[in-house]
Amino acid sequence: MNGQTATAKINSAFLGYFPTWCPGCGNFGIWSSLKTAFNKLQLEPDKMAVIFGIGCSGNMNDFLWANSFHALHGRAIPTAVGVKIANHKLPVIVIAGDGDTYGEGGNHLLHAARGNHDITVIVHDNRVYGLTTGQVAPTASKGAKSKSTPQGLIEVPVNPLALALTQGATFVAQGFSQDLVHLTDLIMSGINHRGFSLINVFQPCVTFNPANGYAFYRERVYKLAGDYDRSNLRLALDKSLELEDKIPIGIVYKTERPVYTDFLNQLKEKALVEEDITNRDLNKFIAEFI
Amino acid sequence: MTTGLFLGKIATRSGYHAFEYSEYPSLIRGGHNVIEVRISDEEVHSQGQGVDLLLCLNKETADLHGHEVREGGVIVFDNEKTDESKLMKPDRNIHYVHIPFSRILRENSLPMVMLNNIALGVLMHLIGADMEILNTLIAETFARKGEEIITKNREAATLGMNEAKKNFKIDILHKLEKKSVISPKLYITGNEVIGLGAIRAGCQFYCAYPMTPSSAILHYLASKAEKAGIVVKHAEDEISVINMALGASWAGARSMVATSGGGFALMVEAVSLSGMTETPIVIVMGQRPGPATGMPTWTEQGDLHFVIRSGHGEFPKIVLAPGDVGEAYKLTVEAFNLADRYQTPVLIMADKYLQEGHQSVEKFEIQSRFDRDRIDRGKLLSQEELLKITSYKRYLITDDGISSRALPGMKQSLHQANSYEHGEDGHTTEDAGERVKQVDKRNRKEATYLSNDFRLPEVFGAKEPPLTVVSWGSMKGPILQAMKESGGSFNYVHFSRLWPLDFGKLKEFLGRFGKFLLIENNSTGQLGQLLTMATGIEFPQKLLKYSGRPVYPHEIMVKIKELL
Repeated sequence: MNGQTATAKINSAFLGYFPTWCPGCGNFGIWSSLKTAFNKLQLEPDKMAVIFGIGCSGNMNDFLWANSFHALHGRAIPTAVGVKIANHKLPVIVIAGDGDTYGEGGNHLLHAARGNHDITVIVHDNRVYGLTTGQVAPTASKGAKSKSTPQGLIEVPVNPLALALTQGATFVAQGFSQDLVHLTDLIMSGINHRGFSLINVFQPCVTFNPANGYAFYRERVYKLAGDYDRSNLRLALDKSLELEDKIPIGIVYKTERPVYTDFLNQLKEKALVEEDITNRDLNKFIAEFI
Repeated sequence: MTTGLFLGKIATRSGYHAFEYSEYPSLIRGGHNVIEVRISDEEVHSQGQGVDLLLCLNKETADLHGHEVREGGVIVFDNEKTDESKLMKPDRNIHYVHIPFSRILRENSLPMVMLNNIALGVLMHLIGADMEILNTLIAETFARKGEEIITKNREAATLGMNEAKKNFKIDILHKLEKKSVISPKLYITGNEVIGLGAIRAGCQFYCAYPMTPSSAILHYLASKAEKAGIVVKHAEDEISVINMALGASWAGARSMVATSGGGFALMVEAVSLSGMTETPIVIVMGQRPGPATGMPTWTEQGDLHFVIRSGHGEFPKIVLAPGDVGEAYKLTVEAFNLADRYQTPVLIMADKYLQEGHQSVEKFEIQSRFDRDRIDRGKLLSQEELLKITSYKRYLITDDGISSRALPGMKQSLHQANSYEHGEDGHTTEDAGERVKQVDKRNRKEATYLSNDFRLPEVFGAKEPPLTVVSWGSMKGPILQAMKESGGSFNYVHFSRLWPLDFGKLKEFLGRFGKFLLIENNSTGQLGQLLTMATGIEFPQKLLKYSGRPVYPHEIMVKIKELL
């Protein structure tokens, strides 16, 4: 069997239904990169957990076939944290949108980063709400006109990378869905990283936000240089401020810190779900009440 | 607070029953805090009226509660803190015991924290209790702080004891003499016993955001987490709390959360998620007076309809409401089994009154239960069972509405839990036929519950009395106490399983009784409304209390007298 057939065969393991996204949707690039990354990492679909948010991004639940939980809008991160605590041996990946992660569930992002929960959060950033047919996302540019902001958006955009960096994320990266090879590497690095990983992926919505289409990003994104010091938080913060004219892609920051479950002595030997719960001895707990 | 807890424990260790009720404002320091401890040879079900001994550690206690002391009772006070002339009522037969607490502290250069011990020493003399029990309690409480601290606390108690001995040789109170035969009792709060039940039930993940009156479950389980093998997580908000718990539960960990009305309001979207994804979860809903922030440290039963109807869309949920600590233990263990069996949310409704007060319960009552308790994980597949299934379907249509669960990580477990409507394999669907099949499947779980696990309410008291009291949850205590004190002029129908209800069986059951009195700790009679909806039976006679205080036995007796 040559390498190609083997890949094709494994690939089918993650293949669900054919996507319902609009032709040209930036999600295709992320979908494809995810499947390639999972295969290259030799993940098994039943021995992992993918937690989906709600939106065009979350709809990938039917196109990417792995053990998954299609969560509530904004709540994919806490769901994933719960899965990871219950079974820290499973790779846990979150696939969510900019509205999910930076709007509805913004609070969860901050706290999951603080806890350095070992999950990989892949955010589809297209500056617009596609599934609800075109309102501004939290990442939309100031002045952006949309169905919900016909006079132009008053707020300035959130800064996802700066948010994650300042709240303790140990892996912060940015990708572009048209650069599949680069994005695949980022996803693999994120999954391999032990700790909280945020990968913000530019993913044009050709239907509802053509102003921020492929050309917009192609003209602006640049890859971080080979000698870029990704361990330098101050440098990473500088890079995170490049939001409009020149936008960096690549691993912006990476550091090592023990993960949340490392601090739990209950999980030293087994995953929580592997413990026998059928016969706990209550006698040792009731003495203090007598 | 410690003085009250110690007094209760001294009583139970001397062979008596005890019940504690506390009132305190939503402040950290200051305000008026009061602990009421009732002690009896027989079981005590509630707080009550009339005080035999009032221990005033500050001025407010004397001012606010002096009048509650019974004829022949005792008031202990410090004249530096209390206006003696105002306190003493010459027309009443009350023993006024002046103990110079402030001076004792000063003269012995003792810190304020020692006041509790001095007061306990005084109490030991006045009620004739065994000082050795107090000394043992002090040693147990401060075991980790070392001999020196234990000795200091004991010395302070002795100072109080000696001061009382020196001045008061009164013999007016019911004495708390140690009984010759003592059956061991637990003196425990609703919160602690729910924690104990959760440990026994194999709870593996407990997640919460602090909120009165449920915070102490978090404190208790956090302190036992490692020993019990539970992960306890204080998450950033209640939305995160329940979504984390559902994630953990989907991965296979038995999971519980607890909160109060406001926090539960934030959780409600995920209650619906539990229903849709068929992910088991146990939710403790500790009620306090609302709406909004309401009266955080007081008690009410105002959330029955809210809880029963919580969550958008139609899906089954199970709602339980324990009436005392014994029931709270039993129903907590059962809640985990029901959640796994029906793969749907199970709610335990309690309130400040049940959760924060200590009650004595026979050790054997809890012990015999936990020796019998079994963990039933319902249709959770083992790896071996899963491997025998050729094409696993998470939401397989079944007669009882319950489908087998596989866990992520198991070989051939490939599936998806989906918050969208889904087909049998978990994929999203908008197909009319599949939608109807899945709705019907989920709803069938309710029918399965009604035929397998529904229980009619428990009836306490006489067989054919002229009046039947109907109530639920924590009001069981005051009602049973009133029954005992009034000599049984009524019986009591106690609802501890509030949803789903078998309307037909209930109608027949309630039809056997004559005149009803509905008692609820809320302003609208929510159980009454529910029963009327279910059976057509109306409850024109009501005793509803919604002042933030529990119903008192004497209020029940007055109402019953009016009706008979």
